[in-house]
Amino acid sequence: MFDFTYHRPATLANASTQLANAEHKPLAGGMSLIPSLKFRLNRHAALVDLGAIAELRGIRREGDTLVVGATTPHAEVAGSTLVRQALPALSVLAEGIGDPLVRNRGTIGGSIAHADPAADYPSAVLGLNATVVTQQRSIAAEDFFKGVFETALQPGEIITAVRFPCGPLTQRAGYAKYRQPASRFALVGVFVVQTAAGVRVAVTGAAPSVFRFTAAEAALNKRFDPSALEGVTLDANGLNSDIHASAVYRAHAVVEMAKRAVAAALGQGGSN
Amino acid sequence: MNAPAEHHRNPRNERIGQPVRRKEDLRLITGKGRFSDDVNWPNQAYAVFLRSPHAHARIGAIDTRAALAIPGVLAVLTCKELLADGLKPVPHVPDAANPHEPNLVSPPGFKEMIAPHHVLAVDNVRYVGEAVAIVIANSVNLAKDGAEAVEVDYEVLPSVSATPAAAQPGAPKLWDSPDSNISIDAEVGDKAATEAAFARAKHIAKFETQVNRVTGVPMEPRAAVAQYDTATRRYTLHAGSGGAVRLKQDLAKILDVPANDVRVLMDDIGGNFGTRGMIYPEFGAVTWAARRVGRPVKWTCERSEAFLSDYQARDLFCTAELALDAEGNFLAMRGSNLSNVGSVPSNYGQLKKGVEIMTSLYRVPCAHFRARGVVSNTMLTRPYRSSGRPEVMYIMERLIDIAAFDFGFDRQALRRRNLLQSHELPYTNAFGMVYDSGDYHDAMEKAFALGNWAGFPARRAEAKARGKLRGIGTANYVDTATGVPRERAEITVHDDGRVDVVLGIVSNGQGHETSFAQLINEWFDVPIEKVRLIVGDTDIVQVGGGTHSGRGLRLGSIVMFNASNQIIEKGKRIAARLMECDPSVVRFFRGRFSAQGTDQTRTLTEVAAAAQRLPDLPEDLRGPLTAFSDETIHIPSFPYGCHVVEVEIDPALGTLEIVKYTAIDDVGLAVNPMIVHGQVHGAIAQGVGQALWENVHYDAASGQLLSGSFMDYAMPRADQLPSFTAEFTEIPCTTHPLGIRPGGEGGTTPALGVMINAVVDALSEFGVKHVEMPATPERIWRAIREAKNSPKRPATA
Repeated sequence: MFDFTYHRPATLANASTQLANAEHKPLAGGMSLIPSLKFRLNRHAALVDLGAIAELRGIRREGDTLVVGATTPHAEVAGSTLVRQALPALSVLAEGIGDPLVRNRGTIGGSIAHADPAADYPSAVLGLNATVVTQQRSIAAEDFFKGVFETALQPGEIITAVRFPCGPLTQRAGYAKYRQPASRFALVGVFVVQTAAGVRVAVTGAAPSVFRFTAAEAALNKRFDPSALEGVTLDANGLNSDIHASAVYRAHAVVEMAKRAVAAALGQGGSN
Repeated sequence: MNAPAEHHRNPRNERIGQPVRRKEDLRLITGKGRFSDDVNWPNQAYAVFLRSPHAHARIGAIDTRAALAIPGVLAVLTCKELLADGLKPVPHVPDAANPHEPNLVSPPGFKEMIAPHHVLAVDNVRYVGEAVAIVIANSVNLAKDGAEAVEVDYEVLPSVSATPAAAQPGAPKLWDSPDSNISIDAEVGDKAATEAAFARAKHIAKFETQVNRVTGVPMEPRAAVAQYDTATRRYTLHAGSGGAVRLKQDLAKILDVPANDVRVLMDDIGGNFGTRGMIYPEFGAVTWAARRVGRPVKWTCERSEAFLSDYQARDLFCTAELALDAEGNFLAMRGSNLSNVGSVPSNYGQLKKGVEIMTSLYRVPCAHFRARGVVSNTMLTRPYRSSGRPEVMYIMERLIDIAAFDFGFDRQALRRRNLLQSHELPYTNAFGMVYDSGDYHDAMEKAFALGNWAGFPARRAEAKARGKLRGIGTANYVDTATGVPRERAEITVHDDGRVDVVLGIVSNGQGHETSFAQLINEWFDVPIEKVRLIVGDTDIVQVGGGTHSGRGLRLGSIVMFNASNQIIEKGKRIAARLMECDPSVVRFFRGRFSAQGTDQTRTLTEVAAAAQRLPDLPEDLRGPLTAFSDETIHIPSFPYGCHVVEVEIDPALGTLEIVKYTAIDDVGLAVNPMIVHGQVHGAIAQGVGQALWENVHYDAASGQLLSGSFMDYAMPRADQLPSFTAEFTEIPCTTHPLGIRPGGEGGTTPALGVMINAVVDALSEFGVKHVEMPATPERIWRAIREAKNSPKRPATA
């Protein structure tokens, strides 16, 4: 690890000032950042710890919107009654991230800002058509994820919250994850949502970035049932291929996990 | 048996056969152990290794100036300093001869490869991660800064890492002298008889496989701290290993100094599995560096560094055939084994200990195998838990199931027909190995019964109704345990009742402080709390082969038994003096000497005190009550058993669940059945891990290691394994004075074969004949898909 200066501002304004310096890096739970520093893969003049900024943390419901503060740890999302009532699939997803240590430290804002192609949260953000809020603007999920570890965030921009539509807008949702055997990140993770405006299917782990599986959406719009996905396929071109799974297998697994996510949404079984 | 009642026996009964709670565990689980990284010496500096990013490259100029310019960097040592100081290579002994085993001898005209394994690369690097320089600094961070500032000119050379590929003519060569990368090319068995038997065979089962490469992953990464005393000119190294004495001898050879100029220390060791069994280049480099910089030097291996630089294992390419007659009697076996030894031939144990028992516990009248080693641009491979045997048991058990599949035999019937009967023992197998004793059929039938093989069809039907494919498999096994033959125990009974045992065998987590003390409790009736093992200081321990090859308790108990008997004999003579009787009437029972025909008794402690106190004892009895035994024991031991496993596969994804795992293992005599069960459980997990998940993956094109962390190297985890049904049979080993067979490797030895047999059985309805290891969901899914696409042709994946 290279030396760095450590800041822990108490207000968003101070954090914004400190992060105006391009050499400075925001620190949330540190579950990805700290290992990358330990491996000397990254070097930052300063880390700006967002953990003391009270307004960034917590879960609240505003009408038909569930607002999850950026530094809310996964365990808090998983254990929240508000989340369970509004978006039980999001609770299931958070409960399945990493291990208890990761869930107690890792945060939703940190996860989506990092944009690991195998992270769970991006599938919920895109699947639920959430809005990513920063201290400067609101970014639609469709516009947020740009590629491997790439997002729409500008230097110095801090995620403050993620706003998830819920209530009547989001009728039911389910998440199914196929874990990579070593890391237990998502080899393939599929988040399925049935909304008043139609079905959304978001896939993580399978490609450089989270994406919508439109063929599955079309099939599920006709009939929201796992069997509707029989015969639906995903083109393996452009999917990830590594020592754990080929692109062909991932393409197959996406369809299979989509079926299980639908089943979960229908209350026919849990997350894998 | 693991019956609850076992644990409620009289807690004071700590004798042989009791499941005594491990007395070291409170220390270990409350963080009070002392592992190598816990040791810090005043004024120590820190070492970091600069490692090769290339699989194969010629080293040009190494510029260390920028690194040395960093304040706090004390030294950068490379092959230049190594050669100037005359450091010798790691003293590997590729083939240690044992009169009870066949020798691997290459034909006349074939020059067996000998290649130096320097502690820092000289001239060329030959695998990704090979150490090129050691940087010493005031902190680990500064040493890393220094390592990053070292500039090495590499001329990248073509590389080869995969096993059959490395043996091909025209493959990039690693070393200058030989014609190819083949390092040894031996034959074992009777070729003519085997060919004749194959010629008259009714059926020939054929199998080709690549046994995957794995790494041991001890929980405690390696660490070392070393110093050099300019006054005594002695080196001291504290580093966990499989044994202190061999580490001392090997370190002295690297440093090119007399063995007694080196002292090696070790305390608690968090796992060995063979991975930690041999000295490592880093230990030599750190000790040498301590002299160069005039300060203690410490190095702690990071986990990602361990994946690159820990000795790896298995990696065997095999073609094998089994000949049968019309009734299913095995007639002969033949084939060829090719062991990928990594960049330097360091130990042919995997090759030899496998090929000498290819025929397992079956009646195979003749066999012939070729046994070759091949170097490649990969980390060295060496023995790892049950070295060589899990691979060949897997091959034999696969051949049997393939024969059943291809020729319509019943799998159980084929095994019952060919498994050796007790009355045939001792039995000399086709390679000359002599199996001493046992009841192989009893173990197998117990496994079938406990695994409820008879009820399987109903369970399969029930699973099918749920859309799952259920499979059952079995594997018999035999394990040849040899290892370093010499061991020594020195036992001293103190006048306060304590007993010290000096032994050349360290515990790597096996619970020696408890199980070895149970032997003393059995013989002397001394509470195990009063027994102390002294094993980790070479200034006290002069002889001993360390912990490997199931030799710890097996050989340790023999020399401890001999020394204990001598103490009892000495004690009788001293007690006779105290009780004023003739030594011939003195008896020793449960810690007391008694004079027959009188009511006189003396405790062992009283006798030990008298030995110190009485002024006029004969010279050999005067002083502390002590005795030693130093034995060289070549004869192998043959633990055996049978495992049965049942799996359920989800055909949609090829994912697998182990539903039930049944293990019957014969350990001859279980000194502490609870500890042996723990060893069996851990060993099964390591075997299943190889069969299903673990894989050291070098990229075929670049030689880069793609499985370099826990993010990509899939370890077995508790939630993937069922609660094991494990039982022992205890047929005493006839070549061991206490009847003991080793118990540490039996869980792993059949686990590869039994898992793949069960997986393939689950897929049998599709005509799938084999799935390679690790049997990942994708491989299983592809096997189903390919079989479905070509229903007439059995598929392999």
